[in-house]
Amino acid sequence: MSTADSELDRRIEALLADPAMGDHPLRDALEALWERYLAQVHRLDRIASLSDRFQALVRDRDLTRTEQFEKRLRQIEKITRISDGYQEMMRELNVQLQQASTHDLLTGLPNRRFLAERLKQEAERSRRSGEPLCVALGDVDRFKRINDTWGHEVGDVALREVAQAMDRTVRSADLCGRWGGEEFLVLLPATRLAAAVAIADRVLDAVREVRVEGIPGDYRITISIGVAEWSAEERPEAALARADAALFEAKGNGRDRVMAGI
Amino acid sequence: MQDTDLSIPATQSTPHIRADAAAGVLSLSGDSYPENAFELFGPVIDWVEGYLAAGEAPLRLDLRLLYLNTSSIRAVMDIFDLLEEAHARRRAVSVDWFYDHRNERVRELAEEFAEDCTFPFRILPDEESPG
Repeated sequence: MSTADSELDRRIEALLADPAMGDHPLRDALEALWERYLAQVHRLDRIASLSDRFQALVRDRDLTRTEQFEKRLRQIEKITRISDGYQEMMRELNVQLQQASTHDLLTGLPNRRFLAERLKQEAERSRRSGEPLCVALGDVDRFKRINDTWGHEVGDVALREVAQAMDRTVRSADLCGRWGGEEFLVLLPATRLAAAVAIADRVLDAVREVRVEGIPGDYRITISIGVAEWSAEERPEAALARADAALFEAKGNGRDRVMAGI
Repeated sequence: MQDTDLSIPATQSTPHIRADAAAGVLSLSGDSYPENAFELFGPVIDWVEGYLAAGEAPLRLDLRLLYLNTSSIRAVMDIFDLLEEAHARRRAVSVDWFYDHRNERVRELAEEFAEDCTFPFRILPDEESPG
C-alpha cells in the first residue's frame, strides 16, 4: 500500500472519529463506504493468500514427483549395476566350470574326456581330408617308485614338470594331455608315423632334462612312448590300442625309448 | 513384539529364509532366482514392516546369499530401504553380509548394496562356508 493510500486511510479514520463531524450529512454514507472498503481489502488478502498456498502445493507436488522419479531412476541404475555384476560372476564361474570339465587339475593339460573328444574329431577330419593322424601314448617310467621314495607331493610335482616339458616340446598343432595317472597322450594331426616318432624322441629328451626339487640331481626322470598311425578304415580306439601295445614294448625293451606300433 | 516367525525352507532356486522375532534376526542364505520374487519376498517384506512397526527392539539381517537374480536384488533393496527408514527414526538396525572368502565377487556386490545405506552394514568373510 502506498504512502498516499495510508494517508488517505488515516484522514478518513480521523474524520469518522471526529465528534465535530457527528452531524455531518455525509458521515453515515462515508462510514458505510469505509466499512465496505475494509471488507473488500480483507477479501482480496484472503484470495491472494489462498492462491499462494495453492501454487506452493502444486510446486511441492511437482518437486516430490521429481524427487520420486529421480530416486526410482537411481534405484534402477543400482539394480542394473548389481545385476550385471551377478551375471559377470556367473559367466566367470561358467568359464571355470568349462575349464574344470575339460582340463586336468594337477597339470592344467586337457583331460581324458577332452582328448577322447578331440581324437574323434581329428579322426573325422582326417577321414574327410585324407591327411594322416598319429597318436603317441607316453608313460612315466617307474613312477610308483618316485612316489614311494620321495612321497606323493614330490610325485605330483614331477608329473606337472613332465607335463610341461611335453607340452612345450610338441608342435602347436599337436595336442598333449593327461590320459590318466602317469600316462600322457599326444594327438599329432597331419603327421606320418616317422615324423611322429621323431617328435616323440624330442619329448624323451625334454623329459630327461626335467629336474624336481626333492629328487636327487643324479636321478633321471624318463618316459616310454608308443606311437601309432591311425588308418581310415579303423576306429580311433584301434590306433590307441596299437600305441598302447607299442608302449608296452618300449617298457619291455628297457624304457626311456619310443616304439612304433605297426 | 510381533510373535509370528517366518521359516521358508530353501529350494534349488530360493534361499532358506528364517525370521526370528524374539532374537530380532532375519536370515537369508543360498541362491535366489525365484520365478515369482513377489510371492517369495512379499511375506518377508511384510514381516520386516510388521516387526519394525510392532516394537523398539533391534533388527539384524544375517545374509549368506550367493546368486541373486534381478527381481531378488530389487526385493533385497526394498528391505534395505525399510531398514534405512527405521534407522532415520533412530531404530537399531544392521546388516551382516557373509560371503565365501574364495568368492571376492560377492563381496564387491555386497559393497554395491551397502553404498547408499547409512545404518551399520558389515561385509564379512565366512571361512566356514561350504559353498
